[in-house]
Amino acid sequence: MSADLQVRPPGRTVSPASPRRRSRVAPPWWFVLPALLLFAFVVLVPSARGIYYAFTDWDGLDPDFALIGLRNFTDMLDDGDALQAVWHTLVIAVAITVIQNGIGLLLALGVNSMIKTRNFLRVLLFAPAVITPIVTAYLWRNLLGPDGAVNSLLGMVGLGSWRQDWLGDPDLALWMVVLVVVWQFAGYSMVIFLAGLQSIPREIYEAAAIDGTGAVRRFWSIVRPLLAPAITINLMLSIIGGIKLFDQVYALTGGGPGHATDTISTLIYKDAFTLGEFGYSIALAVVLTVIVSIVSAGQFVVLNRNEKAAS
Amino acid sequence: MKKSITIALAAVMLTTACSSGTNANSGSDDGGGGNQTLTLASVDQGSIEDVIKAFEAANPGVKVNFTTSGADQYQAQIRTQLSSGTAPDVMTVWPGNGNPGATYVLSKPGYLLDLSDQPWAAKLPDSFKSVAQYEGKTYNALFGLNGIGAVYNDEALSKSGLNAPTTWTELLSFCRDAAGKGTPAYALGIQDNWVTQLVLYALAATVVFGQDKDFNTKLAAGQTTFAGSAWTQAMAKYQDMSKAGCFQKNPLGTSYEASQTLAATGRTLGIIQGNWIIGLLKGKNPNGKFTMTALPATDDPATFLMPAAAGAGYGVNAKAKNKELALKFITYVMSPEGMKLFNEKQGSLPTLPDAGTTVDPGLKQLTTFVQENKTVPFMDQLWPNAKVQQTMLSGLQEVFSNQATADDVLKDMDTEYKKGE
Repeated sequence: MSADLQVRPPGRTVSPASPRRRSRVAPPWWFVLPALLLFAFVVLVPSARGIYYAFTDWDGLDPDFALIGLRNFTDMLDDGDALQAVWHTLVIAVAITVIQNGIGLLLALGVNSMIKTRNFLRVLLFAPAVITPIVTAYLWRNLLGPDGAVNSLLGMVGLGSWRQDWLGDPDLALWMVVLVVVWQFAGYSMVIFLAGLQSIPREIYEAAAIDGTGAVRRFWSIVRPLLAPAITINLMLSIIGGIKLFDQVYALTGGGPGHATDTISTLIYKDAFTLGEFGYSIALAVVLTVIVSIVSAGQFVVLNRNEKAAS
Repeated sequence: MKKSITIALAAVMLTTACSSGTNANSGSDDGGGGNQTLTLASVDQGSIEDVIKAFEAANPGVKVNFTTSGADQYQAQIRTQLSSGTAPDVMTVWPGNGNPGATYVLSKPGYLLDLSDQPWAAKLPDSFKSVAQYEGKTYNALFGLNGIGAVYNDEALSKSGLNAPTTWTELLSFCRDAAGKGTPAYALGIQDNWVTQLVLYALAATVVFGQDKDFNTKLAAGQTTFAGSAWTQAMAKYQDMSKAGCFQKNPLGTSYEASQTLAATGRTLGIIQGNWIIGLLKGKNPNGKFTMTALPATDDPATFLMPAAAGAGYGVNAKAKNKELALKFITYVMSPEGMKLFNEKQGSLPTLPDAGTTVDPGLKQLTTFVQENKTVPFMDQLWPNAKVQQTMLSGLQEVFSNQATADDVLKDMDTEYKKGE
């Protein structure tokens, strides 16, 4: 098709049926209206109205509520649980981003090689990513229980002293959340890295090999810059996913023991639906939105610059 | 851009207008003639179905449209429906205060119909009246009650050669002996944080309310506090039990579900839980026999009290489309027939005397305690907001994982209590 187009002589053709001519006409701006209206109705308007409630003491029920200015936001600064949850959220997001992408990249490099079982391994490593996160979390909740498979396995191989109350120990529980997310989504990062790796032409490797480069040098000077777009996407996805993490935490630990694994998202849920403090909960959600926007915008700018520098 | 916002707003308004129009139509449909429809929302999955069937059979021509869901989801749904005027005629309402679907919370803004003139309202025992009423008017048809105590696996207990303890001193030595034999006394699954409160309530019933029946009134009047009262003793006894090896290892990593398996299969001798656990234990071990007794908290069995409280009941929407039918349904639920059906299915006890309900033989002691008025409502039902209980639940997890002390938790509860409604 494209070859066919190139043969045509350049210049305007009069025929209205010509595909080239048609593609140059910009669609009228109002074509976007139906989609925009729908988007406004289900996303923009409710969100804007939602933000308004962050400045009230609404309990989700009583039609009589008062505007209380910034009190919900100032209350947050005195709320130990909220500050702790912000800290947990950042720890989880950073840990997941670093570990998941590190492992994902190594896996991608592995299955991009010529090993015989690579197709089977690709499917196997990606498999966890297709399971619903809540199911994965319940599965791991059983595996990590005091009498669960993990402890039994440690006992069987003579590492009985390593057995732990994985989810009941406040020092370990947060890392178990990270483990479960990484276990599930390292394969997902792998697939994106793999797509990037496969777009690097063989010839460049061959030329580098002829020049006598080693594996490390090849990775740093060829793979890393050419993989930059895949790295940007992966880091963005995992950091945003990490910051708004809810399902896995809620199903694994419910934010416990105590508040040891509460994230901003679990706190939003609890404040709204268990405590009926909708105003405060929405204020927390506004803060979460601001954090996600700042982090992803910042990350995008930095990574985009690197990408351009690399290419 | 400005233009599109205006159009968006117009679209929103149009949609709202349409939806309110539909409501008005369906409202007028219900009013007419013999074909009567009642709408109902409930959390009593597994028992409400039978009650509805019986109600429909007893009232030919009546159709009940109902939905059931889990408590969390239900509470969010019902609040949205009430505030937008789309709530069903009859709905589950929790007794007292302290949760988003409780009697006080829903009747204060006027969403519930006053049921004070119903014949059963005057007959409710006092301890249930206090949680079915708001400002002296009855809003909640409470049909069943539940208690908390020590539930033993009879077979495991006789195999161990130990006897169920009847005093606090016996309890501690019972725990040590049981742990020594490798079968801990009680399963404790506090990974699910609501479970943390049960042992504490069982102890506090005797320790706090045995000393002072009016503790709640004094607390509300600001004459006493959690941290400055016998609650500290109840907390200390909870920790004494833990130190004496009363619970299996790693309770914080054990779920409610896993704790049931431990007790049902005899890997612990019992479990400290509500009476609803007996049905669940029998589900996991159909041949098992399970007996519930009061948890000893002092050395004088005459002072023992058991926490016993009404479970969720039903309230009528103040703007019900079919008030008459809604009241008919409530009357049926509170009749000996309806109460028997509900409670036998749920494994609970009836709130009205002489309801003719057959009670599980393992609950004989709880029945006696209820009849002798030796019960205390679940403590949270009279707390002013939901945060007090949530603070206690996560606080107890923190005590078990050494992130906080019992005193910290009680002080935090005082702080939240004082914030009021």
